Amino acid sequence: MISKIISLGWKNVWRNPTRSGVVIIAVLLGTWAGIFTAGFFNGMVQDSLDNQIELSVGHIQIEHPKFQDLYNPKYAISNSDKLIQSLGNKPYIENILAKSVATGLAQSPKNSFGVTINGINPQADSSLAVTQYIKEGNLPDRSSRNAILIGNKLAERLDLDLTSRMVLSFQDIDGEITGAAFKVAGIFNTFSDTYNENTVFVLQDDLNRLLGNSDLIHNIRIDTDELAMAENYAENLRAEYPNLKIKTWREIAPDLRYMFDMMDLMLYIVMIIIIIGLVFSIINTMLMAVLERTRELGMLRAIGMNKARTFSMVMWETGFLTLVGAPVGLLLAWLSISYFGNTGINLSAFAEGFGAYGISTIIYPELTWQYYLNIMLMIAGAAFISALYPAWKTLSLNPVEAIRKFN
Amino acid sequence: MAVITTKSVTKVYNSDKVPVHALRGVDLNIEKGEFTAIVGPSGSGKTTLLNIIGGLDTPTEGKTIVQGTDLSTLSDSELINFRLHHIGFVFQAYNLIPVLTAVENVSFVMQMQGRPNKECHNKSISLLKEVGLEDKINKRPSELSGGQQQRVAVARALASKPDFVLADEPTANLDSVSSGELLDMMAELNQKEEMTFIFSTHDQRVIDRAHRVVTLVDGKIDNDEVRAQTV
Ligand SMILES: Nc1ncnc2c1ncn2[C@@H]1O[C@H](COP(=O)(O)OP(=O)(O)O)[C@@H](O)[C@H]1O
Ligand SMILES: [Mg+2]
Repeated sequence: MISKIISLGWKNVWRNPTRSGVVIIAVLLGTWAGIFTAGFFNGMVQDSLDNQIELSVGHIQIEHPKFQDLYNPKYAISNSDKLIQSLGNKPYIENILAKSVATGLAQSPKNSFGVTINGINPQADSSLAVTQYIKEGNLPDRSSRNAILIGNKLAERLDLDLTSRMVLSFQDIDGEITGAAFKVAGIFNTFSDTYNENTVFVLQDDLNRLLGNSDLIHNIRIDTDELAMAENYAENLRAEYPNLKIKTWREIAPDLRYMFDMMDLMLYIVMIIIIIGLVFSIINTMLMAVLERTRELGMLRAIGMNKARTFSMVMWETGFLTLVGAPVGLLLAWLSISYFGNTGINLSAFAEGFGAYGISTIIYPELTWQYYLNIMLMIAGAAFISALYPAWKTLSLNPVEAIRKFN
Repeated sequence: MAVITTKSVTKVYNSDKVPVHALRGVDLNIEKGEFTAIVGPSGSGKTTLLNIIGGLDTPTEGKTIVQGTDLSTLSDSELINFRLHHIGFVFQAYNLIPVLTAVENVSFVMQMQGRPNKECHNKSISLLKEVGLEDKINKRPSELSGGQQQRVAVARALASKPDFVLADEPTANLDSVSSGELLDMMAELNQKEEMTFIFSTHDQRVIDRAHRVVTLVDGKIDNDEVRAQTV
C-alpha cells in the first residue's frame, strides 16, 4: 500500500505542472546558487588562508616552551637533530623547516626598524615559501658571508637596494648585544606588507655564529598532509614530546582561525537563508494544493482512507517537490564548482585590491564533501519540516463538511 | 437480521444561532438486497440520514446499527476502517481521484483494504466490465463523461465488497438519459449481486425505479412504500 501512496503523491505533484514546476525549479536554483556561492567564497578565503599559512605559519610549529615570551635566543630546542630526524619518519609530515630566530634592529645610514631575523638553511629548506616571492636577487647562499634577504617594504624604509649594506643588532645567548653588517642578496615582495617590512632571512650559520652557538634551532615548522588534521597530529606530538611547546596554526594565527571559522559559519548561513525561503514557498504551494483538494480529500476519508495515509500522501507529495530539484541543483553545483575549480574565475577586472589580503584575482571555487553532505542533510530536513504542516492540515479534515461542499 | 437499523435517530445542528432539527426521530430497517430510495424535498434530511447511516456523521440521539455493530461504539479511526470494509459510497460528484485511471480508482479502495495487487487489478477490470466501461479502463476521470464517472464510482463502491452501497443523489449532475442508465445498471447489480442499495434523489424517474421508497418530510419518515418484490 505504501508504494501506492507514494505513487499517488508523485502523481499529485503533476496535477498543476506549472505550479509544481516553479517550486521544483526554485529549489533547484536555490540549491545550486547557495552551494556555488559557498564554493566561490570558500575558494576565495581558502586561497588566502592557504597562502598565508604557506608563507608564514605552517600547520604546526615546535619551540622551546619559554622561547615565545621574549624570543630569548638561549631557549633553543635541545637535541634538535634527533627531533628533526624522528619527525621526518612520521608518514603524515610532509615538510620540516628548522630555523634559528632572533629579534632585533635593522639599521641603515638612513633609518632603523625592528625585525624578526630568520636563520635558514637554503640547502635543507628548498621548499621555503618566500622563495617564490623574490623579485630581485636570490636567497642568501654560502658564496658570500652575511648575506641577507629582505622585503621590499623594509628596503624602502631603510633605502636599500640589492648589494646595499645594512646592520643587524640583537641579543646573543648570553644576553649581550651583538651585531654585524649584512649585504642585501635579495628582495622579496609578498602579499603581506607587514611581512615585507619586518621579516628578514639570513644564513643559519651566520646568525648562529653571532648568537654564540652553531647548533641553535628555535623553531621547527611542520607541514602535514592535511591542514584540517593539524590539531590531531599536534596532539600526537604533544604526547610524544611533553617538554616542547607544540602549536597549531589555529593558535599561532588566531586571525586566520577566525577568518576560517567565520567562513565556515558564513557558508551555512547563506544556505540556511536560501533554505528558509524555499521552505516557505513549498509550504505555501502545498497549503494551496491541499486546500483546493478539500473535497477530494474528504471523499477519500469518507471511503475509508485513514489519517496516516492521507498524511503520508501529502508528506510524499511535498517531499517530491524538494527531492526532485535539490539533487539536480546539488549536481549542477558540484559540476560548476569542479569546472571553475579547474579553470578559475578571473576577477581581475573588478578586484584590484584583493592582493593585499593574499587573495588572488583568480578564484578557484572549492568545497569539501562534508559540506555537500551537510547540505543534503539540511535540505532533507527542510523538506521534511515543510511537509509537516500541510500534511497535518489533512488530519483535521471533516469528511461531512468536505462532502457538503459538493451540493 | 436487517443490514441497517436506525433507532429514534435525531440530529440537531447547533452551528447557527437557531438549532436546526435535521432529523426528528427516524426509525428505519433496511434488509439485505433492498433497492431503496430516500426521497423528500430539499432540506428534509436525506443527506443527514445517509451520512449517519454511513458512519460519516453521528446522531444527536438514537442509534445506528450496521450488520450488528452499533456505530456509536466505534472510535474515529475505527469508523474510518469500518467504512472501508463495510460501506460503499457514491457521491453526487468528486467521487474519483483525478490523477488515477478508472481501473486505478477502483483498485485503490481494495489496495487500502490490503488485498493483493493482482486480485485488485482483476477484480477492478471485471467490475468495470459490469458497469459497461471495459473500453475505458485506462481513461482518467477528465476523459470520461459525467455518467461514465458515476459508473466508475459505482464500480469502486462495489469493489470493497461492502454490506451495502450508499448513494446520495448520484444522478443530480446527470442528464435524464444518463440518470436512467445509471439506475438501470444499479438495479441490475442489485439483482445479480444481491447488493443492497440506498440512494437519495428527488428525480421522479429515478424514484420510479426504486423497489422501496422512504419519504422524509421535515426530518421524519412521512411514508414508507414497498413497490416491488425485492430479492
Ligand atoms: N452543518 C450543518 N449546519 C447547520 N445546518 C445544517 C448542516 N447540515 C445540514 N443542515 C440543515 O439540516 C437540514 C437537512 O439538510 P440535508 O440533510 O442536507 O437535507 P437534504 O439532503 O434532504 O436536502 C437542512 O435544513 C440543512 O440546512
Ligand atoms: Mg442532500
